[in-house]
Amino acid sequence: MRDVAIIGVGMIPFGRRDEDTLMDMLAYASLKALDDAGLGDKSVDAVYVGNMGSGAIQHQTAIASTLVDRLSLLPAAADTVENGPASGGSAVKNGLLAVASGYYDTVLVVGGEKMREVTGWRATDFVATMTHPTAEYPYGITLPGMAGMFTRLYMEKYGVTREHLVAVALKNQEMGTRNPYAHVEMALSKDGIYDNPAAVVNNPVVADPLHLYDACPVSDGAAALILCPLEKLKNPAKPPVVIAGFGQATDTQTLQERDDPTDLKAVTLAAGQAFEMAKLKPSDIHVAELHDAFTILEIAESEHVGFFKKGEGGKAVLAGKTRLGGQIPINLSGGLKARGHPVGATGVAQVVDIVWQLRNELPKDRQVKNAQNGLTVNFGGFGNNVLSFVLRRVQQ
Amino acid sequence: MKKKIGIVAYKCKKCGKLHFPYHDRCLNCKHREFDQVEPQGNAKLLTFTRIYNLPWGFDQRYLTIGVVEFENGIRAMGQINVDENYDLKVGMQLLPGWEPVRVQYGENVYGLKLQPLF
Repeated sequence: MRDVAIIGVGMIPFGRRDEDTLMDMLAYASLKALDDAGLGDKSVDAVYVGNMGSGAIQHQTAIASTLVDRLSLLPAAADTVENGPASGGSAVKNGLLAVASGYYDTVLVVGGEKMREVTGWRATDFVATMTHPTAEYPYGITLPGMAGMFTRLYMEKYGVTREHLVAVALKNQEMGTRNPYAHVEMALSKDGIYDNPAAVVNNPVVADPLHLYDACPVSDGAAALILCPLEKLKNPAKPPVVIAGFGQATDTQTLQERDDPTDLKAVTLAAGQAFEMAKLKPSDIHVAELHDAFTILEIAESEHVGFFKKGEGGKAVLAGKTRLGGQIPINLSGGLKARGHPVGATGVAQVVDIVWQLRNELPKDRQVKNAQNGLTVNFGGFGNNVLSFVLRRVQQ
Repeated sequence: MKKKIGIVAYKCKKCGKLHFPYHDRCLNCKHREFDQVEPQGNAKLLTFTRIYNLPWGFDQRYLTIGVVEFENGIRAMGQINVDENYDLKVGMQLLPGWEPVRVQYGENVYGLKLQPLF
């Protein structure tokens, strides 16, 4: 297996992008990554496109074939990768394995989704199609609903409080104001969404016990990477970052069949595999992007990957341990909560944000000083298909 | 007339593990033969949520959904038929029924619908 370097990254601002088609967004992010890698007029061997819903939302399939044609990357191999909200992470995995194996030398990985094209009613249904088709979906369960049921159990078992959840929302939306790629660039006040009686109006329940500001927005967006073997990298213009570790694990589709529904086994396994491959441990990580589609998930994942003991994640957020300058800064991009969650893009965007951190390319108000190692967790379904990557800056 | 609960669970003939929904191989021992088991008795509420942002196909203000465990150990999701202010509690006993849970293509779709015992 060859070490795989990320030599180019690109992202377009997430949000509501009425002016762009899905293919526009995939192309713009890809061109940025190609330019960042210094391959603006070159081709690649293969392309992996992470996307969940082009068939359902845009009535457009085989989008990888369309993208290579549009970008004049012919005759590159091209595949679309669908794995729910972990489609982006799975696309990165396919690119990683293709280069690590020695089969391809230069690979473009791009993830994108255009969800605002349909009403919230339709988008909620589209995302709910990942639930079990007979045992869950017919009841009207939604992903916020799954998260609500999980939150109730997690609160009861581990003492997580509304105040802990609010602290995640405040932190991540504050970071969103510092990120020009974020969908939500609006800081929140604790008074406005929690303490004040008006919070009942400002921050209504969406899936009890979760409120509006516990949930990520529905977004459009795309992000891209260029991968190549580290051994072939000569005089790189930017500090090379390698994918030092990778893991993926699955769990039962329904929460009800898990012995302990609060145990996100696939997160623990995926991150554990990534740490083992990278020969690192949680305390070696300097910055992380966790899949906070709901505030509870940032807390639960921070515990399941080993940053904190079970029951300590919520307290850590309140104590500022996950802020910039804290013990382990989490979601300095604003996370899904503020950067947004165009489902197929998220797993790639998390890697892009960590690459920027490890290259020391971000402004001071988002940059972790001397970050060498970063972690991502991309959470598919409701924790039934999870990918994790450990990234490392190569010492030159 | 009250309809029979339309849930069938699958008990592994080798190790006894109970499954719902169906799996082709036992989640515990990979065995492929199962006895069919019907839910028995009332249902204990394990967790629940009240959803206000509903998906396409639900033209109502909110839905209350929970996961319950029947007296013979079968766990399943269902809708809970209580009004918005009803004080549901984890652990409470619910009466199960098999009633319309949504309408698709003009037809009722039946599923598990629960209500408080008292």
